[in-house]
Amino acid sequence: MSAQAGPPPMVQAAGASKWFGDLVAVSDVSFSIGAGVTALLGPNGAGKSTMLRMMCGLARPSNGSVTVLGKDPRSDVSVLGRIGMAPQQESLLDHLSGREFVELAAQLYHLQRPGDAARQAIQTVELDPDDTRRLSTYSKGMRQRIKLAQAIVHDPLVIALDEPLTGLDPRQRREMIELFHRLGSEGKCVIVSSHVLDEVERFGSRVLVMAQGRLAAEGDFREIRNLMDDRPLRISIRTDQPRELAIALLDQGVISGCRLEGADLVVVDSTDPAAFRRAVAPVARDRNVSLRELRPLDDDLESVFRYLVGQ
Amino acid sequence: MNLAVYRVILRTQLSPARLLVLAGLSGVAILLAFTARAADDTVEVATQTIANFGINIFAAFIALSLGSAALGNLVEDRTLVYLWLRPVSRHSIATAAMAAVLTVVAPILVVVMTVAAVVTGVDDLVAATAVATALAVFAYSGIFLALGLRFKRSLLIGLGYIAIWELLMSRLGDWFARLSIRSYPMSILSDATDVSMRLADRSTLTSYIVPLAVGVAGLLYTSWRLNRTEID
Repeated sequence: MSAQAGPPPMVQAAGASKWFGDLVAVSDVSFSIGAGVTALLGPNGAGKSTMLRMMCGLARPSNGSVTVLGKDPRSDVSVLGRIGMAPQQESLLDHLSGREFVELAAQLYHLQRPGDAARQAIQTVELDPDDTRRLSTYSKGMRQRIKLAQAIVHDPLVIALDEPLTGLDPRQRREMIELFHRLGSEGKCVIVSSHVLDEVERFGSRVLVMAQGRLAAEGDFREIRNLMDDRPLRISIRTDQPRELAIALLDQGVISGCRLEGADLVVVDSTDPAAFRRAVAPVARDRNVSLRELRPLDDDLESVFRYLVGQ
Repeated sequence: MNLAVYRVILRTQLSPARLLVLAGLSGVAILLAFTARAADDTVEVATQTIANFGINIFAAFIALSLGSAALGNLVEDRTLVYLWLRPVSRHSIATAAMAAVLTVVAPILVVVMTVAAVVTGVDDLVAATAVATALAVFAYSGIFLALGLRFKRSLLIGLGYIAIWELLMSRLGDWFARLSIRSYPMSILSDATDVSMRLADRSTLTSYIVPLAVGVAGLLYTSWRLNRTEID
């Protein structure tokens, strides 16, 4: 997603860094984003929220710049009228009803008919615009959706959503993802942060991966997924014949090392996880070895991102 | 000023607990006024009562409670983002917050203290009380609005400011007294009734100008701070 000919980028970061005292939250991040859905992927603490906050003018870059529609959202208040944001925090103006909350946003965006706009936005996220209950009574899923409603009430060009699927049930997630795609296909720039790899897979093909404050990878999701799948993997295998299985896997060339741990456990290292996955069951079957458990030891998202940063 | 922001902040100000405290303090003020009326030297006791209870305690603490919460609560519960993200000037948010505080604090304090002054039976005190209370409320509201935005524990810091600076340090000398809000409205009361009070020796003009200037300075600082602050 580097800068390319064609329409100017809707969101652009150029060497953007943000630090809080000694803590570096975002370090020298550069990218350009246009219309469509872009996922901002990374583990907790990777700097995703800080990046989104800089995009929306809530935080000022300590170094470099972040522009939206060619303007600095921190100093140019007018560009905020083209941005919609759903922040990560659950807290809302709890003394208001959902309708009042979204209508307040519509009023502050200077919409002609704030009541109608609020009603439409609330319906879009599948809540009841006539629900008079206070936001303090809303469930986590309802709070997520009302946050989304206030972010889209003014039909913004750039929509930044910080972990918007947290707390939603599978059906709601599916519908929200469909909504993101619909907004993206209407020419809006939808940036959705998440720390869940499988969730991001459904957002679309464009991904920015952040880890330890840096942009670890960017581009097509499938390429990044392949890169993730290609990283060395350590796997614990519980079996009735660990020594025999390890020797067979070494013979096949699908593991690069192994360590026996007890009578029924072997830990293997593979530099080609895909080949390992294909080979392990047939090898065990051919040698009449019983596989009881296969457990990746470093398959958590953190280790995936650490690997990408190393790359 | 942004009316939508004003209405939202005003609603947060009108919590039942706060209104109950205001009603209770109002009752105490009226009760003290009756006590002053029954005193031998009614003028002196009434002036001291209005100054010490009305200005030094009632106005200061109520303005602190509501002023520091107006934006402070939004910062604390991380909901300021829902005002800040919008294309509205930061000054209009600050002005709306100040107006919301004054809408609640000023009528209650000014009316209650003026009624209290009427109850004392000291005619010279009535108009002066209304003006002095209004000016004190304006100055304190400006200071505490800014304090609420600047500090996380603004209520505690504000209590410290009132107790240590306004009530203790201001007694250490004329220069300290000049930097104390309460000396200005107290001077207005003193001028009206000719009752001599410690700290109440500011000139008439400065007694009016300084509280107004302090309130405006607090408002301007709040606007400036809203522009510069990073929103969580």
